[in-house]
Amino acid sequence: MKVGASRWISMALATLMIVSTLAACSSNGANKSSDTEPASSTPGNTASDSAPKEHRTLTVEVFDRGKPGQPDLNNNYWTKYINDNFGKQYNATVKFVTVPRSQEVEKLNVLMASSDAPDIVFTYDAGTVYKFSQQGGLTDLGPVLEQHGTDLVNYLGEEILKYGKIDGKQYAIPGKRTVLAGFNTFIRKDWLDKLSLPVPTTAEQFYDTMVAFKEKNPGNVTGVIPFGYSLNSATPGLGDLIEAFKPSNLTEQQFATLQPNSVRTPPWTMPGYDKAVQFMNKMFNEGLISPNFTTDKDGKQLDADISNGKVGAFSTNWDGPYRTAPGNYTNLKTNVPGAELIPINPWQNDAGKHPKQGYSPNGMFILVPTFSKNADLAVQYLNWMVDPKNTLFLQNGEEGVDFNMVNGVPVQTGTTTSGDKMMTVANNLDYDILSNGIELGDPQKNAAAISAGYPGFEKEVEEALKVAMTDYYAPYYFSIPNSAEAKYHGQLTSLSAQMLAKLIFAKPAEFDGLYKTLVEQYMEQGGKAVEDEFIKNYETQNGQ
Amino acid sequence: MGNKGVMYYIKHDYLLYFMLIVPVVYLLAFKYAPLYGIQIAFKDYNIFQGIHASPWNHFETFNEIFSSRQFFQAVRNTLVLNGLDLIVGFPAPIILAILLNELVWTRYKKVSQTILYLPHFLSWVIIGGIVAQLFSPTGMLNSLIVDLGGHGLPFLTDKYAWVGTYILVGIWQNAGWGTILYLAAMTGIDNQLYEAAEADGAGRFRKIWHITLPGIRPTIVILMILQLGNIMAINFDRPFNIQNNLVMDYGDVISTYVYRVGIQSADFSLGTAIGLFQSVICLIFLLSSNYISRKLGDDGIW
Repeated sequence: MKVGASRWISMALATLMIVSTLAACSSNGANKSSDTEPASSTPGNTASDSAPKEHRTLTVEVFDRGKPGQPDLNNNYWTKYINDNFGKQYNATVKFVTVPRSQEVEKLNVLMASSDAPDIVFTYDAGTVYKFSQQGGLTDLGPVLEQHGTDLVNYLGEEILKYGKIDGKQYAIPGKRTVLAGFNTFIRKDWLDKLSLPVPTTAEQFYDTMVAFKEKNPGNVTGVIPFGYSLNSATPGLGDLIEAFKPSNLTEQQFATLQPNSVRTPPWTMPGYDKAVQFMNKMFNEGLISPNFTTDKDGKQLDADISNGKVGAFSTNWDGPYRTAPGNYTNLKTNVPGAELIPINPWQNDAGKHPKQGYSPNGMFILVPTFSKNADLAVQYLNWMVDPKNTLFLQNGEEGVDFNMVNGVPVQTGTTTSGDKMMTVANNLDYDILSNGIELGDPQKNAAAISAGYPGFEKEVEEALKVAMTDYYAPYYFSIPNSAEAKYHGQLTSLSAQMLAKLIFAKPAEFDGLYKTLVEQYMEQGGKAVEDEFIKNYETQNGQ
Repeated sequence: MGNKGVMYYIKHDYLLYFMLIVPVVYLLAFKYAPLYGIQIAFKDYNIFQGIHASPWNHFETFNEIFSSRQFFQAVRNTLVLNGLDLIVGFPAPIILAILLNELVWTRYKKVSQTILYLPHFLSWVIIGGIVAQLFSPTGMLNSLIVDLGGHGLPFLTDKYAWVGTYILVGIWQNAGWGTILYLAAMTGIDNQLYEAAEADGAGRFRKIWHITLPGIRPTIVILMILQLGNIMAINFDRPFNIQNNLVMDYGDVISTYVYRVGIQSADFSLGTAIGLFQSVICLIFLLSSNYISRKLGDDGIW
């Protein structure tokens, strides 16, 4: 009897399983056919631009930066403006879907796979864009742009739009980056003054300064950290330090293929990179670098150390300490009265220059998934955003309330740092996705306005930008995407982080051998494939 | 008991069957239905076309996995960490349970049990934070050691020491909770046995050795089989929150590897294939340990 009952149950289970499998199967098929329909009919049903008939909902991705005190990202001052203006004009509701900033790509992958992604999504990761395009997940926005995006095309121009083209199709609309600066190195000026040391201008001088910081401890702190460093697994690297060790006479091909993105992924085979890592190794072994750099995976410890005045120098985003989040410089000044941070240029190369790899002129890639039924509305939204009036509002707020025009440059009144109007990032780049950095329609005004976006540090930021743009260069532009990079990027990035950790931690005597074996492993696990494809693409692009 | 129809039993115990619906639905929805997705491992999964429409790839995914050095490293680490957990971590709750069982003062016993259970309810994210604060090169423990005139220990930065930290932190978190089953088994031991042993002049250790331990032997065996069956499966949170880039040679396990290549790099086929491989190995371990235990005369799980 027992047997009979259990047999009955297992039969029921099996039947249910088969049924559910079939159901999942057929529903999948059904989804499929309804998915493809709107994509193909999109250009057709959008002929009437001026008279939107039915009410539509446009969903747009927004980064959730998890800033303390941030308002509801789908219901605040800025989203109301968007809905009151764009929404009214086009008879649409714009809804914002949050994606955690630090898991941007993972979350996007999941959203795309489950067909839940909003109509407008974006990412900074070119490899992800390439992968989506190859899987047929992105709408070719070329025709839609032609129909609805005249202002948008004029604003971006071919110079920027080309970054969003894959196989000749406009799968992405790149934002425009108005600030191209990458990294800066900062040093405690008050410590230098106390020891009567000059501002270091070469790597050797920098090293000597760090030794002096360690020995003399000018800040009189426990656990002084001359050079603050944290190894982030997502973007492992050494910042602008590597430029001091890179030969200045690279050929164009070497320039293009060996360091396509040295800010974010270590260029292991670039001549001189070993010397740069060795420099870090030496500093670490002499106790000049944050001892916790590997366990400080998110950089929070480094932020705290800087804020508490323990750190003598560090390399970070060009505007890192001035940002309101996490507000390192503000905190430092509160904790250590008289503390002064200045941006410096110590990484002089063999030609006496201070080159720094910055960003390409494109910002993030804005995409419309193929399953979105609102490609036309999405482009209309972006087209609306280009209007200087809207850009100005989204980036600065209302004139006379949130900002005042001083010499043609908006100056914040401080209303946007908290509450409903809080910007979670300077100039609200999470809502104004088209421009990466302030956009006043004139490069000179922009430069003047950038500093205004950092209340309390206007002078410092102006200087920091100048330092960061000294001998700036952009990564080489490839018209052909690197499929090997798209495939191996994730693995190679985490491998790079492990390699950097081991190499910086190694005993100085073992460094050379370890570097060789690790780079061999790296090349074997995909590094070679990526490099070869860069070389191939370079040759194709230049007709060799 | 004759041949009564299925309906008889359903009618007879309908409330029991009714209560069974929830767990059965749970199993169907979360354990059986996802089996449909296994085919991703054998396909060039295209997230936009869906599972069904993606083309088969003739075991290409498995070829790729078995030619990857990182994968074998992750497998080795999983086995090593789980093996150590089994050797060091498995006896810990047994010993703890025996110690607790021997306590006579009930209130003290209750309080210490509660304290021992508490770590189980902490999330690994929080434990990871505590571990970093305590054991990092300038963490609390090392600062203390250095202040006392010693040399700091590389709890998290040396790969061997890291394995030790990993295992001990795991025991700290789980041993207390693990005692529950053993303590329950111990309450089932007939008190007369102890009284008889006492009459025969057995001391405390004799009683533990000859009565308590044999009394909980079936429990030990079943838990052992279950843990052996899980030797290739490793939870994600524990290694992920404790590992760092310096110790990945030993700290990168299957779950974190799958997270990296499967989710972060969006290579879902690879992630699924590894998961499938892992499940098959687990199944083999489970079946063979069950078989061995039955051969040795103990009851297996089934």
